[in-house]
Amino acid sequence: MRQQKFRPEDAPTLSPEVKVDTPREATAEERLHIDRPSLTDWLDLRLGWYGFVRKNLDEPMPAGVGWWQTLGNLLMTLLIFQFVTGFALAMYYSPSPEAAHASVKHITYAVTLGSFIRGLHAWGSSIIVITVVLHTLRVFFWGSYKKPREVTWIIGVIIFQVVLGFSFTGYLLPWDQRAYWATVVGTRIAATVPLIGHGLLVFIRGGEEVGALTLTRFFSFHVMLLPATLLVFKFLHLYLVRRHHIAGPVEPAKGAPVPFYPNQLFKDAIVLLFGVGLLIFLAIGFPPALEAIANPTGTDFSPRPEWYFLGLYELLKIMPSGWEVVATVIIPTGITIGMFALPWLDRSKSRHPGKRQWVMMMGMFIILLIGLMTLKGILETPPEHKATQVAENTQFHPVETAALTE
Amino acid sequence: MTNDLSTNDSIEISRRKMMGLVVGVINLGLIGSIVGPMVGFATAPLTVKRKQRWVELMDESMIQPGEVKEVNYSMRVVDGYHEIEQKYTVYLRRGEEDVICIDPACTHLGCRVKFQSEQHRFVCPCHGGVFDDQGNNKSGPPPKPLERHPVKIEAGKIWISREV
Ligand code: HEM
Ligand code: FES
Repeated sequence: MRQQKFRPEDAPTLSPEVKVDTPREATAEERLHIDRPSLTDWLDLRLGWYGFVRKNLDEPMPAGVGWWQTLGNLLMTLLIFQFVTGFALAMYYSPSPEAAHASVKHITYAVTLGSFIRGLHAWGSSIIVITVVLHTLRVFFWGSYKKPREVTWIIGVIIFQVVLGFSFTGYLLPWDQRAYWATVVGTRIAATVPLIGHGLLVFIRGGEEVGALTLTRFFSFHVMLLPATLLVFKFLHLYLVRRHHIAGPVEPAKGAPVPFYPNQLFKDAIVLLFGVGLLIFLAIGFPPALEAIANPTGTDFSPRPEWYFLGLYELLKIMPSGWEVVATVIIPTGITIGMFALPWLDRSKSRHPGKRQWVMMMGMFIILLIGLMTLKGILETPPEHKATQVAENTQFHPVETAALTE
Repeated sequence: MTNDLSTNDSIEISRRKMMGLVVGVINLGLIGSIVGPMVGFATAPLTVKRKQRWVELMDESMIQPGEVKEVNYSMRVVDGYHEIEQKYTVYLRRGEEDVICIDPACTHLGCRVKFQSEQHRFVCPCHGGVFDDQGNNKSGPPPKPLERHPVKIEAGKIWISREV
């Protein structure tokens, strides 16, 4: 950072203690009186920008902090990618049953780099879910949710829910068979809630059936409410992370804290290189599919959710008749409440995994359950049936694209 | 504690309290004036009433006793902001005397059940629900029989009614 040397003639008045003959760094008050400040100085005096950047680059990292602490930064970067690509997609997308499929087809096959931008957004969502899970696990295993970081953790749990909300609402938007049927089934989960289930279903769908108002509702959540919520909570999260500083390893490691820059920032950059590199590779190598347009008739289509909801989907298979509310409501709500309450469920003062065995066992059990169920779902779900071809071979007929109005 | 305060101070305090209260009330009003209408607006679909309507499916002669047929049809319905020709699928099953109409939406979570003619049963592709050829749930997660729509036969035509 550049600091201007103070020259006595710049200051109209000097306090008697100031020794004018020894050069020293000017105070902010004194620098305000520099005649012709450089643009950066001028801005800094107004924004306090250097101080802010400096403070963040100097943020102390306890010894032992390293690769596991790069995930948050990766998340932030991926989120910026989601915002930018989402904004770009919204320039061509149209949220109505008549136009949605055609507009996504247009993006994918006609707009310059459309398939790439769509690929970044679609793969980005999967990588974000994986990264959020890894980040949460690392905070869990390090016990970093303990005093005084309880609220940081709670805001994290809210962000987790918001991320899942993004994927659920975004999945419907292409309005193809996969989107439509996953939403028919996914929204039906709401109907299993005791007492208010049916009302909830109609509220979420915007009517008894998945249709025009479901699409506008999901669109409005996906591009307005969820991004705004995410931004607010993300900034709160980051503010709290800085306020309480990063918790070091569970048992303090030897060595003094080092500044964030350059060691940790370097590790962050390497992880970003691989994370974003993987994203770009997937977006180019495996462009997202578009199936045939949503069709409420027929009995041949087997709905399948996005892969990270497959665990829930498998759980539904093994629940006996009449017990589905256990899988749809009780287990997911239980896990969520457990996550919110974690800092209070875990009473031990120590962050060492050996000192909080009960919580560790519960956590491992749930992680294993979700992991195995998801794996089972992935192995048992048939691979996407030539989805890309279907869409590519469909000639573009404006009439055909309006499934519901034909 | 009022003892330590001169009269002016306590007037000042109650003035500040009063103003704080007014600000609080105004804020509550502001929140209410946006949240109230918002709730009404967003929950509007809950107030939409649906009613039963009849639709003609096909000639009675097109289905034989003992047969189960998948039939597509369409009805003009209001879908939010517009009226559309909504397409539906149902199963018709003709017994010895009567015809029943079975909705293909699985009673578990709504996937469309498929009829297997050799085994005379409906199976759900999602979580493996199985129903007999009358739509009664036999195994897997579905909690109740498949929904039926009222059927009538008039002048050799099969009609069904559904709520739209
Ligand atoms: C998009 C979502 C998120 C972003 C952008 C984000 C960002 C960050 C960043 C940059 C850090 C600092 C160091 C690190 O990366 O480990 C951090 C720490 C932390 N995060 Fe997140 N996070 C997100 C989601 C979550 C979730 C879902 C949880 C928990 C359920 C969570 C809980 C925490 C906690 C407790 C810390 C403090 C860790 C410590 O002091 O060692 N975060 N987050
Ligand atoms: S939806 Fe048919 S078994 Fe689950």
